[in-house]
Amino acid sequence: MTETIDRRRLLTSAVVGGASLVGATALGSLAPEAAFGAPDQAVEPGAPDPNFAEGRITGISAGMLFVTGSDMALWRIRITGGTSIWKLRPTTFDTVAVGDGLYARGLRLDDGTLAADSVWVNIVNLHAHIAAIGRNVLHLDHKGRRVVGHLVPGTSAARYNNTPAVSDMSMLRVGKHVQVIGAWVPDTNEVEIATVYASA
Amino acid sequence: MISWIAPLQPLLLGAVLLWSARLKLLSRHAPAAARRSALAQLLGEQRALPAYRLVGGVEAVLAGFLLAPPALPAEAAAAALLSLGFAGYLAYARLAAPSSSCGCLSATRSPIGWRSFARTGALLAASLLALPATTSWTAVLADRPLPAAAVLLAGAAVLAALSPELDRHWLDQLRQLKVRLTKPLPTGFDVPLDSTVEQLRRSPVYAETAALLTSDLREHWDDDDWRILVYSARHAGGTEVSAVYAVPRLRYQPAAVRLALVDEPTGQVLLTRQSAPDAPLPDWTVPVPAAAGAGG
Repeated sequence: MTETIDRRRLLTSAVVGGASLVGATALGSLAPEAAFGAPDQAVEPGAPDPNFAEGRITGISAGMLFVTGSDMALWRIRITGGTSIWKLRPTTFDTVAVGDGLYARGLRLDDGTLAADSVWVNIVNLHAHIAAIGRNVLHLDHKGRRVVGHLVPGTSAARYNNTPAVSDMSMLRVGKHVQVIGAWVPDTNEVEIATVYASA
Repeated sequence: MISWIAPLQPLLLGAVLLWSARLKLLSRHAPAAARRSALAQLLGEQRALPAYRLVGGVEAVLAGFLLAPPALPAEAAAAALLSLGFAGYLAYARLAAPSSSCGCLSATRSPIGWRSFARTGALLAASLLALPATTSWTAVLADRPLPAAAVLLAGAAVLAALSPELDRHWLDQLRQLKVRLTKPLPTGFDVPLDSTVEQLRRSPVYAETAALLTSDLREHWDDDDWRILVYSARHAGGTEVSAVYAVPRLRYQPAAVRLALVDEPTGQVLLTRQSAPDAPLPDWTVPVPAAAGAGG
């Protein structure tokens, strides 16, 4: 735990600590062409993107996720120190469970594994109508099917009319159209809501 | 008891059928409703609208017979047959085209669920109940106005409760009232992570450096006035580094965002960026057009 705090203190001081600020130009040109030499990986139109995977997790072993795609493709996804994992919020590898769905983007390695840069676990994007509102619960009507959206205090946010997000949900109305980004609870019709987009 | 309830059923049935026929024959939304219904799948796009109008015509004629004075068992039997037909149609639509709309009583999109079946069942029950009727409903209304009105109201209430098309007139209002009274959703204005990420994305520093990032948000924590967001990035030469952004936490000032690229194993700071904090107004506020004209 102290290791995390020390690391965070180091990174914080690197970015906001005035003393440790390095003159940016000391490192040479900052033009995007010079600094950002990452090769772009164009994919042929219509061809599957080799650096993208989706499916449900069938097994987890040290630093590796075994995933069965919706087209029954089998994926091995390598989780590295630089992998961002999202499961309702930016989180760590140990919260990922067998049975979760995921989208992953990264770099396909020669041994067939995908070294993931980003993994989004259970992420869903719904366009729905609010059918009813309960205590920290939105009942959503999604194409005639009922979806239960749970608000997670401290995490769920609302964006009204495209202004920055707030945690105030009180402007949501029954009958209104909303877009919901959230985390599906596997094998149920329930989601935990990360962001709800609405008009006010 | 049944002797005076039975003659009232044709009135209820007739009213529902007339209402339904009005949509199918007179509404200008009828073509759209026909296209959305399962008829389009059953008969093809071309024949959906004529068939829809035909059903409406049958409903209107039957409603006329039901409402007109002589109460004949044949009318009730025809209504029962029509209800059975509706039930069959709903069952077909539920199986063959579950995403189609019912198209029953209103052009409002209403998926076929248990309430549609329950309503058809109620219509069937009313038709069967009307079979033994011998007198006309006008006679019963004249004879015992109050009980008859109560039975009609109860019947209408049951049908309305089973009609998803009418939800927006009463169920949504009731739910909105409940929300206004109980206030079940969290209120308050503390700053969610999403808001900080949004501010970062609108910052000049992010615009310069976004092409470096290879991951989504990896980690975040608060430090006094700042919220620190950590991403993975690929620096020149392809080395994996951490992109550490500091975003103002409690104020909206995208120009104040700072970045440091840190090589975590060595703790070396590879690059820092910040831009002069200007932009007194949030950049999502829309300028008033009149202000530009006033100068000239």
